[in-house]
Amino acid sequence: MKLAAALLAALAFAALPVLTSSNYVVGVGISALIFTAAAAALNLVYGFTGLLSFAQLGFWGIGGYTAALTVVSLGGSFWTGLLAAALLNAVIAVLVGYPMLRTNRHAFVISTLTFALLVTLIARDWVSLTRGPLGIPDLPAPQAFGLLFDTPRKFYWIAWIFSVAAIAFLFALCSSRIGRTLVAIKQNEPLVRAQGISPMPYKLTAFALSAAITGAAGGVYCFNLRIIDPSFLDFYYMQTFLIIVIIGGAGSFWGVIASGIALSALPEVLRFSDDFRMIIYGVILVIAMFVMPSGVAGLLRERRVARMREALR
Amino acid sequence: MTIDATYLLQLTLNGIALGLLYALIAVGLSLIFGVMEIINFAHGEILMLGAFAMTFALPVLGLLYWPALAAAILATMLAGLLIYEVLLARLRTDEFERSILITLGLSIILIHTAQYFFTATPRMVDTQYGFDGVEIGTIRLTWTRLIGAAAALVAFAGLYLTLRFTQFGRAMRAIAQNREAALMVGIRPRVVARNAMILAAGLCGLAGSAIAPIQLVTPYMGQFLIFKAFALVTIGGLGNIPGAVVAAVALGLIESWVGGFFASAWQEGAVFLVMIVVLLLRPEGLFKRGGMRVG
Amino acid sequence: MSAILRVSDLRKSYSGIHALDGVSFDVEGGSITGLIGPNGSGKSTAIDCISGFQKLDGGTVTLGGTDITSRPAHLIARAGLMRTFQTVRVYDRLSLADNLAIAAQQFDPAGWIDEFLRTRRYRQAVESSEQRARQLVELIGLQRYYEAETGILSYGQKKLVALAAALMPHPKIVVLDEPVAGVNPSRIREIEVALQQLNRAGETFLIVEHNVEFITTLCHQVIVLEQGRKLTEGTAAEIHTDPRVLEAYLGITPEMAAAEVRGAA
Repeated sequence: MKLAAALLAALAFAALPVLTSSNYVVGVGISALIFTAAAAALNLVYGFTGLLSFAQLGFWGIGGYTAALTVVSLGGSFWTGLLAAALLNAVIAVLVGYPMLRTNRHAFVISTLTFALLVTLIARDWVSLTRGPLGIPDLPAPQAFGLLFDTPRKFYWIAWIFSVAAIAFLFALCSSRIGRTLVAIKQNEPLVRAQGISPMPYKLTAFALSAAITGAAGGVYCFNLRIIDPSFLDFYYMQTFLIIVIIGGAGSFWGVIASGIALSALPEVLRFSDDFRMIIYGVILVIAMFVMPSGVAGLLRERRVARMREALR
Repeated sequence: MTIDATYLLQLTLNGIALGLLYALIAVGLSLIFGVMEIINFAHGEILMLGAFAMTFALPVLGLLYWPALAAAILATMLAGLLIYEVLLARLRTDEFERSILITLGLSIILIHTAQYFFTATPRMVDTQYGFDGVEIGTIRLTWTRLIGAAAALVAFAGLYLTLRFTQFGRAMRAIAQNREAALMVGIRPRVVARNAMILAAGLCGLAGSAIAPIQLVTPYMGQFLIFKAFALVTIGGLGNIPGAVVAAVALGLIESWVGGFFASAWQEGAVFLVMIVVLLLRPEGLFKRGGMRVG
Repeated sequence: MSAILRVSDLRKSYSGIHALDGVSFDVEGGSITGLIGPNGSGKSTAIDCISGFQKLDGGTVTLGGTDITSRPAHLIARAGLMRTFQTVRVYDRLSLADNLAIAAQQFDPAGWIDEFLRTRRYRQAVESSEQRARQLVELIGLQRYYEAETGILSYGQKKLVALAAALMPHPKIVVLDEPVAGVNPSRIREIEVALQQLNRAGETFLIVEHNVEFITTLCHQVIVLEQGRKLTEGTAAEIHTDPRVLEAYLGITPEMAAAEVRGAA
């Protein structure tokens, strides 16, 4: 049922450029698709596995820079750039994830934050690699099968295909035994160990896959902007992913997808000044954490469990 | 390159001053973690509030340093009380991730509210001391720097005595070591947590008002400092106050030395690299936490 | 019968205090063995060390002839030693069916590739795991909660779920850490019956418990620990009349114990 609804929604979304003549709306649609994929990747580590990772921001940036540099410096195509972004992120995630996951959950959160900040510093200060604060402008439009995706309308298809593929992959993962084991690790790690399962490989897998998808999302997004500079690592992106996950309901797959689509449109609808928009974001975050710490999906779920409890009394 | 002894000494003194500043922030974080097992993401914004309070108090008080400092510290302590009563008091223990997200929201609100009202333009703060200072040989130290460092030292001495010898300090250490046992002997964790939060905010406010005359004041000034402080408390072992102080002063020195000889990128990245190495070698931090130790 | 679990000379100390000071015992295959002792006698430490949740300072543990000393917890479980926990641990937000399926998944040969391709190996593994799960759920009498989240169950019911989960992969031995502590007395009898039934079907249990009556009704062999050492060992009847045990464990004389038994009967 949910799957059918998701398929319908995906198809409806595919029709967006046909339905509207506004390039602005198409642009919002592109952001919504990419942010939703990145938020779904964060949901894999935070919602399912219980690891609050700020490293996503770093992976987003590494992905963007890798894709851009593959094209600009190495002469590769957009597609090899995306692949490189995903692979490099997965490798980095395994390398930094192992020592981070060995620490306790408090130190894990802080070290992921530190990782994101280090990436920001590299983007700004390693000028010979990243071209520093000036960034890399004029990224060429992607090409495939002789088509040039040079307008927002055409680029929309790339964003759509990428997001649908990423979300489908994550869904397959989350509804598999691996996904179930991740949920089990989040709920009760000692019990998982007592049942013969070593948590580390699972956590590391979730962390690396999430990094790969976030990185590829960053790659797609920077080619949408057609430029990448250190502001690509603005903490704003991390906050956006987090808010999508929290409002939708950490640990609820479709809840996060739905809130990703809904909330990506929100900043565009609330067209106040940047500061005012961020204040609203902050207020939403604080209120949500008190009123519905497990999101909209959590609220619905609680009602379902209450009904079940009633029925089994 | 020949290393000039005076230059090195100057770097060292600057490093210690910087380290004491970091320590003021990190100690507060460690204190809060010890009592409540949470991280206050908005701690840097308390520092920013302290700096802005100093900025506004100084002209009103005729540029007098000490009354303005006291006013700023009181303001931040009040902010700490408010943050505790409105937000943190509702948290249960073992809600670490939730505490981060709530205080992250608060941090976003505070930064952008400050930016909305005060704009992002950096402010300079003038005090009665201006740029006066003392000169020892060829080394020159401004009064504002010296007083800032001295105030930090006095604050640490006060904190040490408080934790060591007062009823409140003992209660705080008891909770950090064993919450259940502390409850059983009648310590009220909420009161202790509130006091810890006020104390931590006050220390942070001191840091903020002390650097206001030294650095430029902007709404974002707390953010980068707090990320460093997070790294510091992790290096020092979460909840371990002396560990945080040692790590903070060491970092101040390292940053100052590195900054004196290498590009500034290395200076800012140093703490994060150190932290990664420490966590690789000792996942629990340098000084493993065995409750909150004092002295 | 031969010893399935052989523990010899376990040593463990915390900052100078000997929690375990050379404890040795055997658990016979197919038996129910009890491990009792007063608070702080080291029984919880003993099973934490045996199951790999704490590091041993010395001694050896062999399971079915294989040395499992100081292996990480998950490898000890894979070797065939499953355990439960004193404060009940289940996955509150997963269904009872999933709780049991996870407990068995590490023990079947199907990997993620099998799952992705839905190979025969995968389907067989899922099928046999489900069959076992239904059997065990029937035994613990929670059929109607099969699809329900275990979070809605009572504490006693969760203890039964934890027991069933431990049995899922057909382990060589199940170690139960205080299976009836905090359980409603009316439910204790249910657990007793379930354990006896399982034991007749060939399962081996090592039970750590405070409830002496529970232990003496169930166990073939009882080991008594005191202050990190083995005080004595014997059948339930022998233990029950051993004056040393009564004194160490209950702090009472045999006459008082006898009076208590009469009172309870």
